[in-house]
Amino acid sequence: MKKSTQPCRINFRQNSREALQNNSLRHAMRYATDTFRDKRLNGIQGVPFEEWRQRASDLKISVLENLSGYGDQFAANATRRGAIVHRAVDAAHARELVGDILHDHGAIDVVKAKSMVTEEIHLNKYLDDRGFRVIETDLGEYIVQIAGETPSHILAPALHKTRHQIGKLFCDKLGCDFSDEPHVLTNTARKVLRPEFIKADAGICGANFFVADTGSIVLFTNEGNGRMVTTLPPLLIVVTSIEKALPSIKDLPLFMRLLPRSATGQVLSSYLSIISGDQIPGLPSGSRRLHVILLDNGRSEIADGPHREILKCIRCGACMNVCPVYGTIGGHAYESTYPGPMGVILSTLLNGLERSHPLLDATTLCGACSEVCPVKVPLLKLLYELRERRVEDGYAKSMERFGMLGFGLAANSPFFFETGQALAKALWSLARLLSPVTVNRLPVPTDRTFKRRMS
Amino acid sequence: MINKELIRIFMENASKVAAEPFWVTNLSEMNQILAKILENDTAIYCPNTTELEKSVQLDPKQLVDTFMHATATVEEVVAGIAETGSIVVTSANNRAVQVSLLPARHVAILSASNIFETLDDFFNGIGDTIPSNITFITGPSRTADIELTLTIGVHGPEKLFIILV
Ligand code: SF4
Repeated sequence: MKKSTQPCRINFRQNSREALQNNSLRHAMRYATDTFRDKRLNGIQGVPFEEWRQRASDLKISVLENLSGYGDQFAANATRRGAIVHRAVDAAHARELVGDILHDHGAIDVVKAKSMVTEEIHLNKYLDDRGFRVIETDLGEYIVQIAGETPSHILAPALHKTRHQIGKLFCDKLGCDFSDEPHVLTNTARKVLRPEFIKADAGICGANFFVADTGSIVLFTNEGNGRMVTTLPPLLIVVTSIEKALPSIKDLPLFMRLLPRSATGQVLSSYLSIISGDQIPGLPSGSRRLHVILLDNGRSEIADGPHREILKCIRCGACMNVCPVYGTIGGHAYESTYPGPMGVILSTLLNGLERSHPLLDATTLCGACSEVCPVKVPLLKLLYELRERRVEDGYAKSMERFGMLGFGLAANSPFFFETGQALAKALWSLARLLSPVTVNRLPVPTDRTFKRRMS
Repeated sequence: MINKELIRIFMENASKVAAEPFWVTNLSEMNQILAKILENDTAIYCPNTTELEKSVQLDPKQLVDTFMHATATVEEVVAGIAETGSIVVTSANNRAVQVSLLPARHVAILSASNIFETLDDFFNGIGDTIPSNITFITGPSRTADIELTLTIGVHGPEKLFIILV
């Protein structure tokens, strides 16, 4: 497993405690996850979802078995169509590539469409430091960017902000009149961003998929900013990761059916762009120059290891929206690009147990995530395995280890078990004095134990 | 032979995603509808290259030569997908895909014979060298980024009309 380059361990417990005290965040999260969950349920009604997800899962496994082959095939075909394909081994490499390409083209103003991979590699900060002017154009990302914050939900990045807060933010930062009407605010963003698209020197976006046999990049969007970013600026840089390969353009319909339904319950997102190569000289559509960066950042290693199935993930967010932990505390507490069940697993594998093992507490092991995943990522199984790994590698808290050891002993012996019960009862008031927060959450030990009632 | 059932499914699914489909049986009907939809537009762009586009009759005072600052675009689109209610635009034949993006209103003319039943049907007929840009458009542009309130019309068009001929 990759050792962490970010030494600072995620303080998940502290973060969740703070999130729990933030009532407006909790309400927003609950509302959002409930809404997305219902939409998804509506979306998959009356379609052969089980059959589709099995096919999608099988296909993604075949991709994982030949990651480098599909990467090569994509690169060859995209190059044939005029694109320039780069491979980046890690985050730093990818950042530098992007910075150098922008620099070589003399670009300063950059418009971005939502991309999780660029968040994974902390691209914005790097480009900022190098003097580029980067603007996020997805409405939610834009709000989060001008507020100087980070996304809280992968489908709705500004979910943690109320319309009132957004109204004030726009008023302060953009100098417009205050309004808390979503359509007025949206219209303001449209007006402010339109000239940015037109004057931008370069666009940067991610990809939901890339297609090996046609050398295409595939992008699902709703707002239209993805189309702007990919067709207006003269230079386009697509940053994506190697596991997003699909063997053939003919595989696309399956994922067109699965991804939007699982994410927002839509039959299809408003826009789906399939971009193959750069603009043919003299033609108006598309960028004049297209660069594609295929990021590895530890994925080849994950693909060869026991937890590789996490790489089947198509980032729909469904597992997050059914997760009782995520639905309560929201995305910020995870301190990671990828939150929720898939995020716990992927962050742990990408960043190492040293930094990320506290995230393995972010589960009730209820398994709801595994049930909804459109590509059958065995999330519950992976969570179990990584939690076992955490104990083996010595990252579990000693309290927890001894506690579990003690419980194991007691559960095997009626004598110890009853003694334990009696002790708990006797020492309860003392424990409550010592650690009221923890103990008050637990049920009070009873005199009438189950065994006594039965005998 | 025009498959009426396919058209019905297409229209139903397009309506579900907030597109506004019309089905006309002749060109004069098409022009009547166009006149009505575009009544208040002051800068309409029409590429005027396909047969159907050439049959578009609008008040010349309403027309403009470029789409950059147009209020509406009228164009023929290459395909419709009944399964999803989507229309498809591509960069083939020198078409700028931005014409369906920048103006706030997009009027798509779709020949009923270009409706595909499923996504697979479309991709199976796509050939080996695909255009550098293929875009599926399924309803107007939308967002729910502010308190999950659905808002139609963000960066792309706020209105999508589809006229089936
Ligand atoms: S793991 Fe599955 S459910 Fe979760 S985001 Fe990825 S594809 Fe969606």
